[in-house]
Amino acid sequence: MPAPTRMVVRDTPVDLLRDGRGAPLLFLHGAGAGGRWLTFQERLAARFDVLAPSHPGHGASPAAEWIEHVSDLAFHYLDLLDTLGLGRVHAVGASFGGWVAAELATMASHRLRSLTLIDPVGIKVEGWIYPFLFGMELPELVATVFHDPMAAVALAPPDMSLDTLAIIYRQNTALARVAWNPYLYNPRLRRRLARIAAPTLLCWGAHDRLAPLVCAEAWRKEIPGATLRVFEESGHLPHLEEPDAVAAAVIEFCAERGPGR
Amino acid sequence: MKFYYFHLMPYVLDHDEPSSWVTFSNRHYDPAVGHTLYHQYLDQLEYAEHLGWDGICVNEHHQNCYGTMPSPNVMAAMLVRRTTRARIAILGNGLPLRENPLRIAEEIAMLDVVSGGRIVSGFVRGIGAEYYSTAVNPTHSRERFYEAADLILRSWTEPGPFAFDGRFYRYPFVNPWPRPLQRPHPPVWCPSQGSSETVEWAARRRFPYLMVFTPLARIAQVYGEYREACERNGYTASPYQLTVNLPIVVAENDRKAETIARRHAMWVYHVGLRMRPPYWQPPGYTTEASLRRLLDTRGKMPTELTYEDLVDGGYIICGSPATVRDKLRVFSDELRAGIVCSGMNGGSHEATLEMMQLFSEEVMPHFREDADVDETAGIGR
Repeated sequence: MPAPTRMVVRDTPVDLLRDGRGAPLLFLHGAGAGGRWLTFQERLAARFDVLAPSHPGHGASPAAEWIEHVSDLAFHYLDLLDTLGLGRVHAVGASFGGWVAAELATMASHRLRSLTLIDPVGIKVEGWIYPFLFGMELPELVATVFHDPMAAVALAPPDMSLDTLAIIYRQNTALARVAWNPYLYNPRLRRRLARIAAPTLLCWGAHDRLAPLVCAEAWRKEIPGATLRVFEESGHLPHLEEPDAVAAAVIEFCAERGPGR
Repeated sequence: MKFYYFHLMPYVLDHDEPSSWVTFSNRHYDPAVGHTLYHQYLDQLEYAEHLGWDGICVNEHHQNCYGTMPSPNVMAAMLVRRTTRARIAILGNGLPLRENPLRIAEEIAMLDVVSGGRIVSGFVRGIGAEYYSTAVNPTHSRERFYEAADLILRSWTEPGPFAFDGRFYRYPFVNPWPRPLQRPHPPVWCPSQGSSETVEWAARRRFPYLMVFTPLARIAQVYGEYREACERNGYTASPYQLTVNLPIVVAENDRKAETIARRHAMWVYHVGLRMRPPYWQPPGYTTEASLRRLLDTRGKMPTELTYEDLVDGGYIICGSPATVRDKLRVFSDELRAGIVCSGMNGGSHEATLEMMQLFSEEVMPHFREDADVDETAGIGR
């Protein structure tokens, strides 16, 4: 795992994990995964310059009061790219991070060499209401998010100290600020997905119980030319449950579309 | 000492569900039973006035069996026309839970005008579970509370119309008819859970502060902080800014009171306040500083409390009239509190009425050294 570096994006401090060589790839994490460098990122770092910032209020990035809407986060990442002087990047977002990446892509698709969304939330899908994670205790949460409950160990907190509990509460608070109601989606986003001009890969866990395959179909329909890859042994987080396969899919997709090295 | 009779209007039943809040299915609610209960509870509140209580209290909770008053103003409206003397304390309206808090200003003003100025207006945030039931974003709770309170107080005190342009609430015209009868406005009380931010906010405005269903030691600590905050704001807190707020069980003798309490007082803790842990602290409802303080001093969950915990920890007062008098004196001295705010449950409607009568005859008269004092004069406004 690379040593975290602290940068400032406009006036917002950000904790950044960065490693690897190649074209820049921005990885946007999901809830509870801030500040973690997982096997998935490690695999990508073999081919890309992987940048994995923690969202404000997540991991070691302090909360930012000005972030009140998911679009604020998307603009924040455009600011981050500008701050680092990165012109065009590959973007990969998982779950909540996928939502943010999709918002960003509708705003500034020209900044993306490619877009990979891994089981994103963020749009309303007819006939589906996302289960309310904020009200769940751990066993129910794990059962909703993971196909193999053992995979949850990768996101387990280091201990149950006061500091750890405070960090978890801060992360949930940062998420709730933008995702409590409407819950896990932006009513405006779905219509805007047609604006995404970057080549788009959708990776989906076959057993996702938070955003099931019916959601994947909606995303595939809305994003022009999007490719859908389903991972048979995964729930909501295939990049945790099948990291090698998902990383290989991303690498292959990017290699076909521009200089990924 | 002033006495306020407090009611939750619970729907008492036993069940094995993990939570009595949010997800406990309303198929367990029988409206025919509810009809009887509502009338018994309203009778009890009216009887409290008859027996000499200074005030009667209603409050707001949503989607649970612990307290079936989703609209406290509706209950207050029923009481206003059936009582003539007692103050009617709404403890309180959940300000952030409303999309249009100007409605609260209007409803309280209506009640105040009809009642001839007998309303006490409590402002609360609502407990954590309420943010699951109403879908209001808990990360906005504190800010919406302050903003709604500011709006309501201004609407009562500044001649309308004026424009209000807040972060959550915006009105081109604030101009509610009627205006409240009490000047400058009905007294405002702040029932809360002890966060330092709310303590400071209430102290600065001279709003009485009260804590419910909390061990005595913790209440004493927070009330101490409140008094310090009052001093910092340039005045000394009146005893009528603080209350002893707990259930009381009184009977002919200690043994009988204990039997009743063991059978009926435990329900509130073991069933009524049973809820999934996430419901207590939704994200952003509490500041990080308050959360750390809460976790650091973490006591038992309500469902873990035994009868002995309740009595020894000062969650309830239980005993013969003499025992209750002694404990009440100790509690009020310790908290330097001028108001006792409590409800009673004898196990049946008739037994509850008898208990209220016993209390009014054998306990209350011993605390009436301030009979001629208006506990709301210059307080809460």
